[in-house]
Amino acid sequence: MIAESDSILAEIRSDLGLEAEIYRPRRGRMEVPPERLLDVCRWAKGRGFEHLSSISVVDRLKDDLFDITYHLWSYRDGLLLTIKTSIDRDDPRVDSVVPIWFESAQVHERELHEAFGVEFVGNPDLSPLFLEDWEGPPPFRKDFDWRIYVRENLFGQENEREKPYFE
Amino acid sequence: MNKREMISSEETEYELFFGPAHPGSGNFSVRLKVDGERVVSGRADPGYLHRGFEKLMEYRLPIQNAVLSDRICVFEALNWNLLHAEAVEELLGIEVPRRAQYIRVMMAELSRIQSHIVWYGVFSIALGFETGFKIAFAYRDYVLDLFEMITGGRVYPAGYICPGGVRRDLPEGAEERILAALEKVDEMLAWEETGAPFFPERTKGVGVLSLEDAIRLGATGPVLRASGMKADVRKDDPYEVYDEFDFDVPVLTDGDAYSRYRIGLAEIAESVKIVRQAVANLPEGDFIHPSLAKPGVKVQLPEGEVYVRNEVARGEGAMHLVGNGGTNPYRVKIRGPSLLHMIPVLEHLLVGASVADVPAIYWSLNICPADMDR
Amino acid sequence: MGIELLGRLVRNMVARPLTVSFPTESIPIPDGYRGEHRFDADKCISCGLCASICPNKAIELVEAPPDRREEYPKRYPRIDLRKCCFCALCQDICPVGALTLTKNVFLSTFDPAGAVRPPFPDRSE
Repeated sequence: MIAESDSILAEIRSDLGLEAEIYRPRRGRMEVPPERLLDVCRWAKGRGFEHLSSISVVDRLKDDLFDITYHLWSYRDGLLLTIKTSIDRDDPRVDSVVPIWFESAQVHERELHEAFGVEFVGNPDLSPLFLEDWEGPPPFRKDFDWRIYVRENLFGQENEREKPYFE
Repeated sequence: MNKREMISSEETEYELFFGPAHPGSGNFSVRLKVDGERVVSGRADPGYLHRGFEKLMEYRLPIQNAVLSDRICVFEALNWNLLHAEAVEELLGIEVPRRAQYIRVMMAELSRIQSHIVWYGVFSIALGFETGFKIAFAYRDYVLDLFEMITGGRVYPAGYICPGGVRRDLPEGAEERILAALEKVDEMLAWEETGAPFFPERTKGVGVLSLEDAIRLGATGPVLRASGMKADVRKDDPYEVYDEFDFDVPVLTDGDAYSRYRIGLAEIAESVKIVRQAVANLPEGDFIHPSLAKPGVKVQLPEGEVYVRNEVARGEGAMHLVGNGGTNPYRVKIRGPSLLHMIPVLEHLLVGASVADVPAIYWSLNICPADMDR
Repeated sequence: MGIELLGRLVRNMVARPLTVSFPTESIPIPDGYRGEHRFDADKCISCGLCASICPNKAIELVEAPPDRREEYPKRYPRIDLRKCCFCALCQDICPVGALTLTKNVFLSTFDPAGAVRPPFPDRSE
């Protein structure tokens, strides 16, 4: 498998002009700028990375960025490739990978949109997944402290929807 | 109005709620649009069990997160403990002692056995076979007695598999009791070979998932193996000491609910083989890495990111852990197999199904609302 | 299949039940089960590690009741069992072994105030 992985590094360099690194057996990673994201993902899907394991967003409050990582697994080569891209925190928009990985990408992006407020341009359905009637800011951001929010907005208030059960 | 007018499509379409307070659906609801007896489409409505684990873990130390990680999905608590422990160890760059690795593999496989037994039990009761439910939960108790003896709790092991190794060593006489419990599991598998006669009738040809649909929709684990692909994280991307064990990965090609039912039983037999080998070859040594033996030591998680994949009982579980030099993790992203099984795969399989087949399809996917919502 | 089932049926009818009659008998609970806490004040050094490691903040360090304060001048753990998840991290971290978990699991009560266990229980205040 190590020989396979080295050949993938060579192909990434020649087909895409980018550098990737194998940092331990079966794990590779690379960084791409957001405008090249879709080309790289399309290349990866064609090269055999058919399984999108997950998409993850990390909120870098100090650097004012969101890091979005895509973890791709290839059944054929036995390698997990992590593609990382960074976008601006004040206007978080990135291209959706639904045209490449279809439904399995759609549900991950829907969850991240609700949790972090990142907009995935091209995703057919970004409606709320877990939360209902939520009016506050995206809850997983680093500047949101849920304990303060609950104490100021919800603590000690009557819950209109549950009222009939207590009458 | 007369009969002819009543039988027009607008009069026969209605919306049916399958759960969350429905006895056959667990903590999850699916809104079915039904036309007569056929389901036209389904829309999954998750979120009843959302506890915000990913954010809670950012405020706690790794050893406290180990206690929290059993609650990601309680039926396979030790498998999630193992995933979290591996992620922290890889970030810290420490090597776990061999005795601890063997104990961890043994506990993870016992957890897989009892999770599949629960799957068999709830699958049976969803189809109305109450005796199957009782048999399954009775035999599951033998495995829970082992957990009680080794970890101190029947269902919640309270972070028994923690970063560095395990929290306490096996007590005296544990090996004999483990082998005795495995005999009981073999007895249960012998019951299943006879099986209930209506099981094939209600589940053959129901909920067929083709291989390319399974890969496109993101299915993993037993659901993918029942559709024909031989993929198992324990073999393709080995972790702990799985490469030292001799076991098979069962694969079936029909992709219907009956294949998924049979795959679960075949996997129990393979896990029993692994546990027997682990008990026979258990090495001596430490049960935890010396630098993490006392909890509460202020261990700094270095800067960096790791991505760890494990085969939990329901499929592929993964964790993306980011450290930034503090004592708490900076970001924890948990990938559960059920997020993909409950939303894309379920909605795809429900189209065109008959209402009477909905429980068979739903429970054959072995879903866990807890690891979907986290 | 039918004959074997009949044999098993007859055997089950005359065999003992698998369950025990609970309040009068109980199945043995193994050592190491994580149940109710036991606190030994003579060993406690008041380091506060148990309160800081508890994932649910169920332990609070309080002073001893007035008539014992001379003998026990420091602060000791009061455990709120309503918040405790019985994970035994407090037992593992205590450097002197003052806080341990016993096998007593029969803790259900109708009295919520009784679920908060003070360090010196034989005095009510």
